[in-house]
Formats: sequence, C-alpha cells, structure tokens
Amino acid sequence: MNINALSNGERNNESHSDHDLQMTAATLDAPAPLEDSTRRIPGNKGMWAGITCEFVEFTVLFAVYFIARAHFPDAFHAGAQRLSVIAGTTITLLMITSSYFIACSVNAIRQDKHRAAIIWLVGGLVIALGYPLTKALEISWNLAQGINGESGIFFTVYYYLTFTHLVHATWGILGILWVLARLVFRGYSSKDYAGLEALACYWHATDMIWLVIFPLFYVLA
Amino acid sequence: MDKHTDHFLLLTSAWLALVALTLASLGLSEWFRDISLLPLLVAAIVWIKGALVARCFIESQVAHPFIKRVLKVFIGIAPIALLATSFFGSTLARWATL
Repeated sequence: MNINALSNGERNNESHSDHDLQMTAATLDAPAPLEDSTRRIPGNKGMWAGITCEFVEFTVLFAVYFIARAHFPDAFHAGAQRLSVIAGTTITLLMITSSYFIACSVNAIRQDKHRAAIIWLVGGLVIALGYPLTKALEISWNLAQGINGESGIFFTVYYYLTFTHLVHATWGILGILWVLARLVFRGYSSKDYAGLEALACYWHATDMIWLVIFPLFYVLA
Repeated sequence: MDKHTDHFLLLTSAWLALVALTLASLGLSEWFRDISLLPLLVAAIVWIKGALVARCFIESQVAHPFIKRVLKVFIGIAPIALLATSFFGSTLARWATL
C-alpha cells in the first residue's frame, strides 16, 4: 500500500515536472503580448510630454489673444485687414502639405519602403523650409507697410504668437534633419520607427496650432 | 489600426480636404464678411481641420486615452473661445478686467 502510494507519488512528481517543462516551453514559445490597439502611444512618451507642454503654452497665448480681442474688437477687425492674406494662406498650405508628406513617410516605413520613406521626408523638409522663407518675406512686407510690434494691440499679439510658432517650427525642422540623417543610415525599419513617428507627431501638432492661428489673424478681418 | 496596411489614399484624402477647407475659409471671409455668423463658420472649420489632422495624421482613434483627451481639448478650445469672444465679447471683457 505504502509502496504503491510512494510510486504513485513519484509518478505524480514526474507528471508535475513534465507539466512544468511543458509550461516553460509554452511560455517561451508564446508570442509577445499584442499591443493594445486602443492604447497606442504614437512615437514615444517623451515626445507627448513635450507636445502637451506645447499645447499648454499656446493655450495661454490664445487666451491672451481672446482677452485682447474681447477688449479691443475694432482694433482686431481693422488689424487683420492690413495683414497679407497671401502670406498666411501660403504658410497654411506649406504646413498642411509638409505634414502630409511626413505622414506618408511614416506610412512608407511601416511597409519597409525605405527609399520611399526618405523621398517623402525630403519632400516634407523642403516644403517645411518654405515656412521660414515665407515668414521672412511677410515680415519685410509688413515693415514696408509700416507694421511693426508697436503698431497696436493686434500687431503686438500677432508678432508674439506667430514668432513663437516660428520658433517651434524651427525646432521641428531641425528634428526633421536629424530623423532624415537616421533614416538615410537605416536607423528605422518597419519594426522600429518610433523616432520618425515621434517627429511626425510633433510636426502634426505644430501644424494643428497654425491651423488655429491662421483664421484668427488672416480670416476674421 | 493595422500598421502594415497602406494608408496612402486616406492620407491623401485628408490632405485634399484640409486644402479645400483652407480655401473655403478664405472664400467665407470674402463672401460672408458682414454676416454675424461668420465666427460660427470659421470655428466649425477650425474644429474640422484639427480633428482631421488628429484622426488621419496622428491616428488619435487608436492612441492612448490621455493623448486622445489632450488632442480633443486642444482642438475644442480655440473654436469655443472664438464663439465666446464673438457672441459674448463684452461679458468676457468685463470678466477679464483687472
């Protein structure tokens, strides 16, 4: 009876160790848990901390704009009519198009189309460079018309908001250059493209901010 | 969202819609300059453009809830503030007076 019990116990132990081995093998062979498709972080967490701060900064600047507009509606109505709508529209189209090109670059690298990703990103960079160029032309046109930072409340807010946006866009352009260099040297693939996607998110966020600035200064005349 | 699917058509459609809305907002400012509802139309266009960028370019619908919330709040703030300033400007000015 005891011998039988012992042998049964040994058999049980053996079956336990077999089971453990099978479990270990099953654990090793199991595919990595799938990324939750509704909790994805596009790019990386650090970039989203930065984008959130950028949104907070511009929310404060927009608050200044709206409070000034509420106090001086006539100055804002008249001021918008003196700005170059062509410059504002050109910058908007440049921002939208460069954002689209960079999104296409992310789309290409996801499919391991490395060459296409480079071409789209170079296109995005070239178009993005049109923004500071157009801004420089706009400012020289403004100065020729006698519009400077001391031309009234509207223009003070206009210069402050648009210059701040230009600074953010310049950081984005430097980011595009860095990501492009990494992409050329095969730093990204369909398995790891977080850096490229993080840059794309920053540029899209900067684009979203301009899409608010454009109607506030150029459309609502 | 399937990362290996080609989203070129979706991205291109979003880009064309953004260009069309930009040109439409310029047209609105010319044709409806004297209409009191112009700020409402402009606010709607600002909101749609922001939502398009968030949804099609950033893919906010599959993003972490915090990112979704940040984008939703930022996209909504400017149109709401624009409507508040346009229709309740004097009240807002009174509240914001030191």
